[in-house]
Amino acid sequence: MKTVVIGILGTTLDRRGKRKERWDKWRPTVSMCQQEDLLIDRLELLYDARSRSLAETVTEDIALISPETQVCHHHVDFTDAWDFEQVYAALLDFARSYTFKPQEENYLIHITTGTHVAQICLYLLNEAHYLPGKLLQTSPAGNKEKLSGSYQIIDLDLSKYDEIASRFKKEHEEGTTYLKGGITTYNATFNTMIDQLEQVSIRSNEPILIMGPTGAGKSQLAKRVYELRKHRARLSGELVTVNCATLRGENAMSTLFGHKKGAFTGAISDRPGLLKQADGGLLFLDEVGELGLDEQAMLLRAIEDKTFMPLGSDKEVCSHFQLIAGTNKNLVQCVKAGSFRDDLLARIDLWTYTLPSLKERKEDIEPNLDYELDAYAKKANTLVTFNKNARTRYLDFCLSRDALWSGNFRDLNASVTRMATLASGGRITEENVDAEIQRLKQKWQTQEQPDPVNSFNMLDQLMNDNYLVAFDNYELAALTYAVNVCRESASMAEAGRKLFNVSRESKSSNNDSHRIKQLLQKFNITFHDIKSL
Amino acid sequence: MIIIDGATGEGGGQIFRTALTLSMALGKPVRILNIRAGRKKPGLLRQHLACLKAARAISSAEVTGDVIGSQDVTFVPGKVKAGSFHFSVGSAGSTTLIFQTIFPVLALQDEVSEVTLEGGTHNGMAPSFDFLHACFLPAVEKLGFTFASQIESYGFYPAGGGRWTTRIYPRKQARPLLLLQRGQLQGCEALVTQAKIPFSVADRELEVLRRALHIDDANLHRRNVNSVGPGNIVSLQLQYSDHVEVMEAIGERGVRAEQVAKKLVMQVQNYQASEAPVGEFLADQLIVPMALTEGGCFCASPLSSHFNTNVAVVEKFLDVNVEINHNAHNALVTIKPLTKTHWTTH
Repeated sequence: MKTVVIGILGTTLDRRGKRKERWDKWRPTVSMCQQEDLLIDRLELLYDARSRSLAETVTEDIALISPETQVCHHHVDFTDAWDFEQVYAALLDFARSYTFKPQEENYLIHITTGTHVAQICLYLLNEAHYLPGKLLQTSPAGNKEKLSGSYQIIDLDLSKYDEIASRFKKEHEEGTTYLKGGITTYNATFNTMIDQLEQVSIRSNEPILIMGPTGAGKSQLAKRVYELRKHRARLSGELVTVNCATLRGENAMSTLFGHKKGAFTGAISDRPGLLKQADGGLLFLDEVGELGLDEQAMLLRAIEDKTFMPLGSDKEVCSHFQLIAGTNKNLVQCVKAGSFRDDLLARIDLWTYTLPSLKERKEDIEPNLDYELDAYAKKANTLVTFNKNARTRYLDFCLSRDALWSGNFRDLNASVTRMATLASGGRITEENVDAEIQRLKQKWQTQEQPDPVNSFNMLDQLMNDNYLVAFDNYELAALTYAVNVCRESASMAEAGRKLFNVSRESKSSNNDSHRIKQLLQKFNITFHDIKSL
Repeated sequence: MIIIDGATGEGGGQIFRTALTLSMALGKPVRILNIRAGRKKPGLLRQHLACLKAARAISSAEVTGDVIGSQDVTFVPGKVKAGSFHFSVGSAGSTTLIFQTIFPVLALQDEVSEVTLEGGTHNGMAPSFDFLHACFLPAVEKLGFTFASQIESYGFYPAGGGRWTTRIYPRKQARPLLLLQRGQLQGCEALVTQAKIPFSVADRELEVLRRALHIDDANLHRRNVNSVGPGNIVSLQLQYSDHVEVMEAIGERGVRAEQVAKKLVMQVQNYQASEAPVGEFLADQLIVPMALTEGGCFCASPLSSHFNTNVAVVEKFLDVNVEINHNAHNALVTIKPLTKTHWTTH
């Protein structure tokens, strides 16, 4: 491998006259050829026509001190070496016309000489891979060093520079709206909604209801509302988050509202409950539609009167909290189905916001991608960036029809985390992206395949939504299975034999097709509906 | 293949160069590992690479690991051919070190060689051309060798650009080296060699030497030489009937002239305090040519780590008996080759 340096002639630092005194001065272009552990086989020296005689002096001196180095001259005309556009264009032209042979030659881009503008341009061209290779920085000698000074080779792709890079971690919190998490979003619906939510959360203590699919960012938003309110000194207490889907039975009551010692078996001490814990703060009840009816009644009272009764207690407890409820269910339908109290819905349905799914906010994928990268950098304390092509490829996929984003921001977060973790040297490459696209496709593909027991996808097509919410999950699951069997069977009789495989044995006479017909009728479906799916 | 651990002894470039010389002279392949392992910039530097390339050129060797920073070099020498050679080395690299690497090999051939070297000749990091010319080569000639060297231009650090040529003649007589005493002191000359520097600097240096060493005005010399860059070196030649010793100190940017001269005075006083003819720098360079020929005996003071390193490498390559007898101030070094090597003498 040959070592080739590409550098600009330093019209100040390299210009030390033609007299012998020049040998007493540090001249970066000459000195880099004098390093005892750096052998430069070729130097591509870029200079302006006006510096020709300087270029010749430098070339002659290099021939003396480093006979191994071949110096090639390149005229690059900067009319104004401080004009960014001009310098960048001139250097880009050079880079494009130059034949790089990365298999045979190692390139070092000397950034010590040239105007600051030129240095920045070299850096940018290197970063963008127009000028491949590493950066070479030379520095003058310290007191006890040889005149030729020292040099450093800087590889922009090396992870050891992450420490420097992490200092550039942007302080998104400062001067940006808390609510968007510092993400510059472009989706108009989302932005309008956020603007209003910002005002509401500053001015109102009323409950807020956030609707939206799983992973659309409900908890994130609740957290941001909390931080914004806290920032404006409207809240002194803490943020208490609870997913109602995880609350079941007596445990649900006691978790939310607390209990007195001895209220039930296992209640060995007093427990204040989450509502009390959120006193003066914010309570975020995610999946509020999963809350039991008893708990709903208690919650309603707690919202209206700011008081509630812990289990086994004869004294009411007072708690002032702001409520944010989140749901991915249509609560109106839940009310109709009797699983959600209409008075509670009325109480929390004052400020209702629907978070669009990621698929509906495609213009926001890119800013959220940057946000996720940043978040990863903070968490892992290592800056991760895409290379240019990898980023383009990933975004193209994100915006394509193939990207279902069924898990919304959760999918994006997981995807970025995976790529960032697998990226060596903090750089996500095209290979990383390709592998990730395969993972996502596979994930969404498995999700799409109807699960014979759990998926209600098929039922959506057979029954209207209002009808669907009227049945227990158990019934819908059983129905899904029945529908699947019907699809695979040639006749109602065949389906009946498979579905009633045990009970039909004990009957003297069997009319399997009739039983199927009855079963489907309960759901207002016919065998013909299923076969024509 | 002979394996040399480059981290032993002085652990620097010397062990590497000595191994190359012996490998070529004896036609024995060598692998040198851990080259300059403990150093701040480990592995081959440019000056070592220059020696390696010169060695490859004169012996048509097959080489692996010949890159900057390499710590593992294998060197399989082919047939050495006498002839005309031209080697250049960057400013910091010493042409004298390249010469020391290759001359014992060329001197053992049947034909005359002419070697032209370009680069540093007086850089303070290796013996200068003047030391080589006036002290080292005359000592080596006692083994029966003949050299004729001439300098055209001087190469100081940092500009370099020196150029000199040596004719290396086939060995005429086979005889051991005997250098046990200095003999009668016949002359003492101080000389400042400089380029592109005011003479006042030379005068200040000579004044220090004159006072400290009581040298007659007639023996204080200064000369301006042809050189592309500035430079200054002060040297003292002690001419004895049996030996000429040269000691020198290089002028450096930021070091006062008096300081440079005082360094030389210290060296001279140390040399004069002993009776041994062979000084520190000469002693380590005599080992290889002696071991490759009839050996011999010399009296030296002091012995450096380079000396011990060279002895150790020689013992790896050759069946040789090296005896070192220390007395109060000096060391008596005896080298006896035990097997006759393959070349013939003329």
